[in-house]
Amino acid sequence: MIKNIKFIIIILFSLFIFFIFLKGLEKPNNYLPEKTSSKIETNLSAKKLYDQKEVLLGELINNNNFSIINIWASWCLPCRDEHVYLLNLKKTNSINVIGINYKDKKSNAVEFLKDFGNPYSEVLTDPDGTKSIELGAFGIPETYLVNNKNKEIIKKYIGPLNDVKFKEILKIIKNEKN
Amino acid sequence: MYGKKVKLRAFFILLIFLSVSLAIFLVFKSLEENVVYFKSPTEVKNLPELETKKIRVGGMVKKNSIRTNELEINFIITDYKNELVVSFKGSVPNLFEEGKGVVAEGFLKDRSYLKAIKILAKHDENYMPPEVNEALKENK
Amino acid sequence: MANQIGNYSLYIALIASIFLIFQSSNSIRSKSKNLDSKIFSALSVQSLMVFISFFSLIYAFIISDFSNETVYNNSHTTKPLFYKISGSWGNHEGSLLLWLLVLTIFLFIFLINSKKLLIKYRLLTVLFQELIIIGFLLFILFTSNPFLNLFPIPKEGMGLNPILQDPALAIHPPILYLGYVGTSIIFSSSLAALVCGMVNKIWAKHIKKWIIISWIFLTIGILLGSIWAYYELGWGGFWFWDPVENVSLMPWFCLTALLHTIIVLEKRNIYQSWTIILSIATFSLSMGGTFLVRSGILNSIHTFANDPSRGIFILCFLFALVLLAIFIFFIYQKKNLKNISKSFLASKETAILINNWFMMFFLSVVLIGTVYPIFLEVINGSKISIGPPFYQKLIAPFLIPFLLFMAVGPNLKWIKDNLSKINFNQLILFVLSIIISYLLVKLYGVNYLFAVPLFGLGFFLFFLTVRDLSSKDSTLSQKISHFGFSLFILSILFNGIFAKEFTSNMKVGDEREFMNKTIKFENLKIIEKNNYKSLVANFNVSDNKGSINLSPEVRIYNQPKTLTSEADINSTIYSDNFLVFNVIKDDGYYNVRYQHKPLMLWIWFSIILISAGGILGYFKKDD
Repeated sequence: MIKNIKFIIIILFSLFIFFIFLKGLEKPNNYLPEKTSSKIETNLSAKKLYDQKEVLLGELINNNNFSIINIWASWCLPCRDEHVYLLNLKKTNSINVIGINYKDKKSNAVEFLKDFGNPYSEVLTDPDGTKSIELGAFGIPETYLVNNKNKEIIKKYIGPLNDVKFKEILKIIKNEKN
Repeated sequence: MYGKKVKLRAFFILLIFLSVSLAIFLVFKSLEENVVYFKSPTEVKNLPELETKKIRVGGMVKKNSIRTNELEINFIITDYKNELVVSFKGSVPNLFEEGKGVVAEGFLKDRSYLKAIKILAKHDENYMPPEVNEALKENK
Repeated sequence: MANQIGNYSLYIALIASIFLIFQSSNSIRSKSKNLDSKIFSALSVQSLMVFISFFSLIYAFIISDFSNETVYNNSHTTKPLFYKISGSWGNHEGSLLLWLLVLTIFLFIFLINSKKLLIKYRLLTVLFQELIIIGFLLFILFTSNPFLNLFPIPKEGMGLNPILQDPALAIHPPILYLGYVGTSIIFSSSLAALVCGMVNKIWAKHIKKWIIISWIFLTIGILLGSIWAYYELGWGGFWFWDPVENVSLMPWFCLTALLHTIIVLEKRNIYQSWTIILSIATFSLSMGGTFLVRSGILNSIHTFANDPSRGIFILCFLFALVLLAIFIFFIYQKKNLKNISKSFLASKETAILINNWFMMFFLSVVLIGTVYPIFLEVINGSKISIGPPFYQKLIAPFLIPFLLFMAVGPNLKWIKDNLSKINFNQLILFVLSIIISYLLVKLYGVNYLFAVPLFGLGFFLFFLTVRDLSSKDSTLSQKISHFGFSLFILSILFNGIFAKEFTSNMKVGDEREFMNKTIKFENLKIIEKNNYKSLVANFNVSDNKGSINLSPEVRIYNQPKTLTSEADINSTIYSDNFLVFNVIKDDGYYNVRYQHKPLMLWIWFSIILISAGGILGYFKKDD
């Protein structure tokens, strides 16, 4: 009898610990500050990848359409996966895809775009990563959907684009247009 | 009455029981004393009353906020909503940089000022930020 | 190419594992008298396959094959060959492959070394061990495969964090793993012994070797990690009560308890259940440690890659094993409790039991301190951390009785000793130690509550073990370990109480006064190296006795871009002078920390002595 009670208590106790750990795993483990400002930093000035000319981000998003700002690097693996979505977004009218090349060598970046195709209307360089931080980036890849009219960030995607996010972008644009 | 053996045994069990409860008591008492809570600058701002115990505050080191003099390093921790001024005497880790994540441990003087006694930054076996890493694994 | 070979070898090993599980359960059922030769060959094939797989990973690292994702993530062409090789187990995927390799090789060695024992026991051990191996194989193949292909092939790798480029850290994980994995053999074999009803002297004698060997590796592994933290991290300490460190300490407490209990089982044939419980707990803690570290559930200064799916896998696997162990324990426990022999209060058995209870207490303290933050976060969402004072406050006072028992216990006789004839010799030594420590504390004006008893008992243990070292008997290994431990306690006490630290922000040319020392920042040079740029500072620390020059460095690596501080440490047998500096911002100020740490070398030396006792015990001829 005592043996059975002992047994049950031990089993229950281990199950309890098991579930605590299981729940503990669900918690995100990094302390992420949430950026509140929803305006895009238009005063950001950076060099273009191909001709190394200095340009303001605001100048690139001054029409009446939407912009996708995508932070990427040739050394970044998930960037390769999301590339096909960017190429598809390029085909969509009313979207202007701007790339920010994060901590990369020019030669590697150019080669990457040659190999995989170039979805960007313009690529800005960010050799030391500071520009991306000013934009509020946590890591790469990261993608912002911006409304050019009021320079608001409509949606921010941390991590690579996928089917769900891609469809969402198209849907948002469709709704905003109407 | 009872045999010597039984008495001895009872005494032994009592002794074990007492020492175990003493141990448990000490562990939990000292646990209570040595717990350090982790807060963000916004949570610090919204504290119902000023925390007098040691706390940890985490966030980003604000751009151009580090000021150094002979004795102290002063900087601002931000979570992009609220800011907290930190002054610190002591040594900083390698990864302490403007625009990077930081955790400061110390005592709150008021809701926007922390006197830090320790600065922590993380080192990572994979250099990428965790989100990227996470994303990487998702896409395998 | 190496990628495919590595990958397919793992699959073959998986098939071998499945085959072994079937074959060994069949053999057990058919009650065969001899070991099936198929089992032996399957096991050889399995070990060989895992070895090939591990070797192909190392090969991929050596030739910098960036079509392998693990290599790409953790290596770089400019890296020195030594770190290319150590990089192969410095990452998550590779380290698990190493675990697996040691698992299979240990099982192989076990099978060769257990020829004299019951066939059913050997088969059962193989069965349990294969259950562990199959879990690891599935884990590696499906959540952390080190042989994933990358296409198109990148030109250059991501590099290995320079902090991890250190000789002590390169060999630290393999050594620690040898210890961890050794506990898996103890686990499997104690379950097997339980089922066979042979938890007795013969089994104890056999498994003792495995316990000692795991204990040695675990001790040295912890030592190396600690040395790395001291020399490379530049925080000026050797133990920080960080969760990742605690995780290696917990199985150590348990294993040390087991190491003592198994001697009682061997000599007196008692404490059977307790031995089994300790074996199960030791292995669970080793596995649990891997879970805590690898799942990213802990908030530690050493962050590893976070991946919840891996965490869930290890967690389920671990609890499946634990539940299995609990079931087996409750079913077969009775079978082994045949003889309950008498023992008396004043005996070696009791002393060892007391040692065990202390070990369990230290273990609980560390365990609670480590997992309490996780529990609290799950229950009410608050993020907390537990500071080092928690551990110090709880462990230091209990060290006092612990040291006393440690000094007196080994000299007690088995079964029954007579306490009434108080050993006059010991009493004199005891009084002497207390007087010495009292004078010491008075002389230096130490104001720490437990200083007198801790120093006193440290000295007491020291004197007693020194006295016993000269008297030659069969327990020399135990004497050396206990002597090492007394040295360890004394050196950390001196180190902790008399350490001095000074931090300041200094410009080149500045001078600071500290205690009776003058610290001068003399100059700063920039040196370009192959894969990093180095800022070398020159400091002069002088007092009335003389002066020393210290030149710490800050290295700026390119691949990946990282800053590391290299402390300059001047070690003598009396004390260490530790100086480290750091760049804060480009405003001319540098963050400087100087530490004076007495008897630092003795801490390392005493741990080496403790493990040397173990090594001696391993090679000791059985009487």
